[in-house]
Amino acid sequence: MDFAFGWDFGRALMWIVLLPLLGALVNGISGRYASRGLVRAIAIGSVGLSFALALACFAKLVSLSGHAAADGEVEATTKLVNVVYDWFSVRVGDAVIPVRVALLMDHLSAVMTLVITGIGLLIHLYASSYMEEDPSYARFFTYLNLFTASMLILVLASNMPLMFVGWEGVGLCSYLLIGFWWENPTYAAAGKKAFIVNRIGDFGVLLGMFLLVATTASFEFAEINANASSLAIPLKLDQTHTIAFLTTGTAACLFLFLGCAGKSAQLPLYVWLPDAMAGPTPVSALIHAATMVTAGVYLVVRLSGVFLMSPGAMAFIALVGATTALFAASIALVQNQMKKILAYSTVSQLGFMFAGVGVGAFAGGFFHVFTHAFFKACLFLGAGSVMHAVHAHGDADLRELGGMKKFMPVTRWTFLLSCFAIAGFPLTSGFFSKDDILLGAAFIGTGPWADYPRWVGWVVFAMLAVAAFMTAFYMFRLYFLAFEGEFRGGQGHADHAHGHDDHGHAEPHESPWAMTLPLVVLAAGAGFVGFLGLPHWLGLPNVWEHWLEPSIARLPLAEGAHVSAAIGATAMGVGTLVGLGGIGLAYVWYVKEDGSTPARIAASLPRLQALLMDKWRVDELYALVLIRPMAWLARFAANFDKLFIDTLLTKATSSLALAAGWLVTRVQTGAVSMYGAVMVVGLAGIVWWFVVPHPGLQHVVRGTQVKLQAASGLGYEYRFDTNADGEFETPWSAERAVDGNYQPSDFRGGAIVLTTLRPGQRDREIVLHGGEPHAFDAADLGPDWVRGPAADGAAAAAGGTAPVDDTVPAIRWTVPVRDLFLPFAPRGGLAHSATLEEAESLAERIASGESTVEIARARATNDEERTRLGAMAGEDGVDGHVKLADGTDVHFERGARVAVAETARGVHVVALDSGEAILRPNGARVRVRGAEVTEPETRLRPGEVAQVGNALVRVAAVVSATVEVRNAFGYTVDDTVDVVVQPERPATEARADAPGGAR
Amino acid sequence: MDLSLGHFIGLASVLFGIGAIGFLVRRNVLIQLMSIELMLNAVNLTLVAINRWMPGNHAGQVFAFFNIAIAAAEAAVGLAIVISVYRLKKSVQSDSVDLLKH
Amino acid sequence: MSGSGELVFWFAAALAVLSAIATVAMRSPIRAAVGLLFHIISLAGMYLVLHAHLLAAIQLIVYAGAVVVLFVFVIMLIGPSAETGLGTRGLLVRTASGGLMALVMGAISFALIDYAPRMLAGVENCPPGAGAECGQYGGVKALGGVLYGAAALPFELVSVLLLVAILGAIAVARGRSADETEALKARKLARASAGGQ
Repeated sequence: MDFAFGWDFGRALMWIVLLPLLGALVNGISGRYASRGLVRAIAIGSVGLSFALALACFAKLVSLSGHAAADGEVEATTKLVNVVYDWFSVRVGDAVIPVRVALLMDHLSAVMTLVITGIGLLIHLYASSYMEEDPSYARFFTYLNLFTASMLILVLASNMPLMFVGWEGVGLCSYLLIGFWWENPTYAAAGKKAFIVNRIGDFGVLLGMFLLVATTASFEFAEINANASSLAIPLKLDQTHTIAFLTTGTAACLFLFLGCAGKSAQLPLYVWLPDAMAGPTPVSALIHAATMVTAGVYLVVRLSGVFLMSPGAMAFIALVGATTALFAASIALVQNQMKKILAYSTVSQLGFMFAGVGVGAFAGGFFHVFTHAFFKACLFLGAGSVMHAVHAHGDADLRELGGMKKFMPVTRWTFLLSCFAIAGFPLTSGFFSKDDILLGAAFIGTGPWADYPRWVGWVVFAMLAVAAFMTAFYMFRLYFLAFEGEFRGGQGHADHAHGHDDHGHAEPHESPWAMTLPLVVLAAGAGFVGFLGLPHWLGLPNVWEHWLEPSIARLPLAEGAHVSAAIGATAMGVGTLVGLGGIGLAYVWYVKEDGSTPARIAASLPRLQALLMDKWRVDELYALVLIRPMAWLARFAANFDKLFIDTLLTKATSSLALAAGWLVTRVQTGAVSMYGAVMVVGLAGIVWWFVVPHPGLQHVVRGTQVKLQAASGLGYEYRFDTNADGEFETPWSAERAVDGNYQPSDFRGGAIVLTTLRPGQRDREIVLHGGEPHAFDAADLGPDWVRGPAADGAAAAAGGTAPVDDTVPAIRWTVPVRDLFLPFAPRGGLAHSATLEEAESLAERIASGESTVEIARARATNDEERTRLGAMAGEDGVDGHVKLADGTDVHFERGARVAVAETARGVHVVALDSGEAILRPNGARVRVRGAEVTEPETRLRPGEVAQVGNALVRVAAVVSATVEVRNAFGYTVDDTVDVVVQPERPATEARADAPGGAR
Repeated sequence: MDLSLGHFIGLASVLFGIGAIGFLVRRNVLIQLMSIELMLNAVNLTLVAINRWMPGNHAGQVFAFFNIAIAAAEAAVGLAIVISVYRLKKSVQSDSVDLLKH
Repeated sequence: MSGSGELVFWFAAALAVLSAIATVAMRSPIRAAVGLLFHIISLAGMYLVLHAHLLAAIQLIVYAGAVVVLFVFVIMLIGPSAETGLGTRGLLVRTASGGLMALVMGAISFALIDYAPRMLAGVENCPPGAGAECGQYGGVKALGGVLYGAAALPFELVSVLLLVAILGAIAVARGRSADETEALKARKLARASAGGQ
């Protein structure tokens, strides 16, 4: 990273974030023990220092961009960057994408940082007085500082994951502060509602982030915006499927907008914000008006490059924003609670902002964020000041106010100025920013951007004009009802005053300086910051737009498109007219006529009035569609948990444990003799362990090399008979390990090792030898034994006429090994599950010295799967001979012990105890030594591998090894193990055995 | 017949067995303590005997020496407990002391 | 092993077994203590056979002189109630465990009676080049050298252990006067009421 600007400003960025965080930490840990003065000093001091640093960084940025403008290097030198540390990295495809904790202050985030720290500082100051009475003073400032830090992370993050940390952080603080007075269940519920609704939006942000990183291969905002053109591809569902009508960019934009709608309270996720007024008023001003709720707008502006890739998504955002603006304004018309009106007003103004960015007026929409922060914060703080004056807790009812102007002049004047600003009275800040948005809508309506639907511009323009009219009306209704006329302080006031005996004022009073000073500063801002964004079409300098230029993507306008004076005049004229009209109507109805006309209108339209009072009954709709099914599901789950898990499982297991415990406690008699008796049992075990040797022979196989190792023990001596021929190769010694090396003459039995070669599946080895029963099924061997290339081979071998039986569900080895491995009984009996007659007949033939035996048709354990197997072996001069059902013969050495296997494709493998094996493909495709087997019978040498389908048949042999162990007392114990050794493949054929390479 | 180590260890195991059986079967705490002494002595015998067959050092005898010291300490503490128990229960039966049951 | 040593062994072994049986079987503790005394003396003889002269002396001094006397002293202190019957409680378990113990030890003795270790070496036949301490095996000088040399640390630790045992025995066996008991009760009550608040 380039630190050409000097390390101090990079560090300063970090401290801007860290200071409020430290303040939160200190106050959170020790605030409850500290005095209010100290808590206040820490909270305000940390934010104040942060604001000072932000100002310094801003000044540096201004000087830098001044130089840059002179040098013409706009792109590279208009930001301050600080990489704090590398966080983690993500692998997407082949690319490793680093995620850094990196802070970035460019022209966009600089403005937001100033707003957050500056207005945050004012509101901290205000709250230090407003919350004076609250017992949880330190907790409040902990949350407020934490919020400031989170919000700063959100705007200063240079990449999406870090931004998301801030995004979640502000959501958490919002939840904590809405539910600050959690003793009241309604407030706590409001907090939870905000949190859960925001979760839905966060889900969208995450999905959008994943889509962006998957497509642009970066988390950094700058790189995402730069690579935004790569988003213009159809949305991929997986490797092969795409959605033709939806580009990745549009999908990402819509997902991100879902998040913005949650955070910034747009339709349909706006429902949490009106309820969020349950929090203390400074919180409403800071979080739910000035900063957090504008995070969505900030994100859209931040990713303007991405949003420009999708005119459709932008049009959608504009329409949602305009609808929200209109919708919320209509609700605000009839509300009676001061903060409720302001809350719906906030939702409505946020709608304005989204409509602005949606029609491409990014600078305009963001300008409204900026001006709105001033006048809405001022309005909320003014409302708080009023509530403070009348000791209203939670909210103030307009019907119980009136005439406040004579009690609190400062509050009245600042409130009035802010009302003018929000109503768009000419030359106030709201006038200019709202004009920018209207102008943007009108401009896009003239069709300068070919891909953008023109009609959206005019529809949005019309809706916003109506909304602006309503805004002016309801704001001044609020003002007139609260501040003009006579004080109607009534029941509620008396009730609330009861809890504040120490104040004891009968009359409302002006707030202390710590509350009025922020009001004055904010009102000044509300009045005058608008001059930063003077209309360009009048030839006036628009400082705001010029400043944001490097941070915002340029609209792909048609050649020569520009804002004509006619358009500008239209927008400004309409804006002025509706603003003045709304103010005038409110004046006529509520000052001249004392509110009789609106009451009459409401009386004549009772249903509309009720609908508006109930906020269009959206909450009720949610309750019906979402909450009730959820609640039903939750009840079901709870009952399931109660009945099944708790009762059946938990009770059963716990009673088992109880019973076991009861049993064990029977031994706990407390009598020493009982304990002694138990000790004796343990002692007997120890004595047995030390007196009787324990060979514990283990082995490690490597080809025909077997490392044999016996267990160690006190004073043990060992001698080994590695090939179990009765002669010990090693003398008695303390050496407990020995290497055995086996020749074919040592082999005592044949074995077949089956290994599946399925990619991704763990290799499975199944060893068939010495008489242990084992049932095989498809899961043991893998489906390739059934559906491998062998199927084709079988069909080919059958001349293409025989139908391929691919319906065989599993390999037919559902027979126990004792049927596969048939040791010859010395007297000629047949030791497998042939029928009695067959066995007797076979025994006769062997006894009579015949050298050839007919096939024994063994009955499988499973009737429908008759396994064609047979094996016989001769003894005492009789050679073994087996005739399999297909008419082929297998010869054995004398006294041989064999293992026979048959696969679903009819492949026979017969392992002899010489370590060799006989393989019969029986028409299936089998590869040995790299070549397909064509002969009806092939001899496999020890260690050779045949490939059947995707499975390997490895010929192995069984050897035995014995160890004798004696201990110091002369006790001797022996132990014998059977070891399956797999001889190395003959070297000359190693390469040809290609399939083995997959292991 | 020459003496072998087996003779000594065999004798020691018999003595240990007698001590153990005494400890297990008798209920008189005093006798049980004496049985413990018997077992300790049996162990000492094996230590000394094995040392005799590995005379390169004195490890076995040194261990036996320490065992004797520990046995003395054990007898002192054990008998003190017996006196204490007797004062409480007016009995020296080990079964009478079972308050640690649960 | 010399022939006289063998004779001593058999005599001492017979005495040791008989006196051990007497110790565990006598109904009266005082008789059992006498059995224990004989047992200890016979083991001291066994140590002599095994060329552990110093240990034999210590055996007599510490066991016969101190431990057995301590036993007798306690038996006398307790008086007639030191004698108890066999009792019936847990008799089955006790008998069974005792039987199992007898089986285990019998098996070991039976297995080991012929066990002749391979590293047999006589003390009398000092190997060539052996130091002067070779002939001193089991003597005061040799054993003392080890105790104050290589085993000095455990030796000192054992002395600490004995000290702790003495203090423990005093603390456990010391009776409380009536006044002390009252004071203790009062303190406990005060603590309980303080904890309850």
